[in-house]
Amino acid sequence: MKTETDIVESLIRSAGRRVDPPEDARQRVFVAAHAAFREKAARRRERLRGLWAGAAAVLVVAVAVVARWSPSASPQAELGRLARVLGEAEVAEGGQWRPAADAREPLVAGIRVRTLGGGRLALALAGGESVRLAPETEVMLDGPGRLYLQHGTIYVDSGAAPSSARVEVVTPAGTARDVGTQFELRVAGAALRLRVREGLVALDRGGESLTGRAGEEVSFDSLGGVARAAIAADDAQWRWVEGVAPMPDMDGKPAATLIAWVARETGRRLHYESPLVESRALEVILHGDIRHLAPMEALEAFLATTDLMAEVRGDTLVVMSRSSEPPGP
Amino acid sequence: MAELVHEDRALARRILAGDEEAFSELFERFFPRLYRFALARMPGDPEAARDIVQQTFCRAIERLDSYRGEAALYTWFCQICRHAVADHHRRGDRGTGKLVLLEDLPDARAVLESMAAPASDEPEHGVQREQVHRVVAAVLDALPGRYGEALEWKYVDGLSVREIAGRLSLGEKAAESLLTRARESFRTAIAGML
Repeated sequence: MKTETDIVESLIRSAGRRVDPPEDARQRVFVAAHAAFREKAARRRERLRGLWAGAAAVLVVAVAVVARWSPSASPQAELGRLARVLGEAEVAEGGQWRPAADAREPLVAGIRVRTLGGGRLALALAGGESVRLAPETEVMLDGPGRLYLQHGTIYVDSGAAPSSARVEVVTPAGTARDVGTQFELRVAGAALRLRVREGLVALDRGGESLTGRAGEEVSFDSLGGVARAAIAADDAQWRWVEGVAPMPDMDGKPAATLIAWVARETGRRLHYESPLVESRALEVILHGDIRHLAPMEALEAFLATTDLMAEVRGDTLVVMSRSSEPPGP
Repeated sequence: MAELVHEDRALARRILAGDEEAFSELFERFFPRLYRFALARMPGDPEAARDIVQQTFCRAIERLDSYRGEAALYTWFCQICRHAVADHHRRGDRGTGKLVLLEDLPDARAVLESMAAPASDEPEHGVQREQVHRVVAAVLDALPGRYGEALEWKYVDGLSVREIAGRLSLGEKAAESLLTRARESFRTAIAGML
């Protein structure tokens, strides 16, 4: 006859150690749960701040004191804005998804953004960085320059931002920190792919760190295997990024500004045919709105009204004077 | 139990206040247990189990200010997890058919008692044994505090009371006392299922 203790012991011993969940599941759930936690805490802080502000206002009236101090009721710090939306995309604040409006909507901590179907969108972060979401991607803005990539593919361009600005992208499969660069990060479960178009990216994954350099593609499979490949800055794989590029306001700017922007967006080197052509590009002032055109289309449309022209030769965007255009066939 | 619920309410309040450490503590404590809880209800579908647990965490955190401490926080999470599983089956995301858990079987007591008997090679016995293992894991997961770990260390890993005391940062007497309470909780939980 077994005692109670013996039965407890034999049951537990027979069952053995409980199964540990897979690490990739843990990481993925952690990212989502942490995002929900941050969002909840942020909303609660806002609500409490509102309550305190209300209470303070009542108190002020009750004692009829004209106070110079006013309670802090400023909205949460703006982390960025929607810069461009193509196709289907949604924004969630407080767990409710709604269509993303292409209206420079301000984004605060805890807001989630996702693209559906073939939708793509661009975010302009407050630090000056540009972030693009490929189709079927979901991110959450967590803090200044910090994003959670839940799933899908994003592209980060911090080149136009001040040198102190840095973007950190946290995913269930690792964390990427840019070091002044353009890069793409794709996550699918525990698999992660980093493509660096320009500059350097530091990647932390499961306690290990590595650096991705310009022209490199680094892929991690879910078992921890790493593979490296080359990818040129003007490779066709980057085309999706150009399509959703938010065009800066070019009205009143010199043509050289647009030309430099197009070269950067398309991953091409820039070459002026001569110093004379370069100085001419600084003199010609652009007018009009071309914000909904892709970079090369915009360049073509703008330069058509000037005596300058541009063409792609290999990996270089060459700018020349129309008068030097070779005669047609 | 009252003390545990008091601790759980304090943990919930800290999480609502945005305390990162509290969130990490909750996640590390609950994630493995909820994953096993969900997987037992989504057999052979770890991806679905992961999604269910993710939904559970997100829903629970969203509603955390409605947690009043009527039950242990883990029990409250399990309830949300059950609903998420039910929603999943209702949507017919993946046809898993009706799942019968051991605690739903009329002869559950006999199955548990059979564990004390010598092992049998009969396939039916093997299936029962597997179900018992799952139930034991579920009971260990549902025990308060670190009781489940302490019992596993003692009976599966064969650690001494002194070693367990070291892991729990307790004195030996306190660890022995905790093991006694853990055994009692385990026995009560098993009996409560029957």
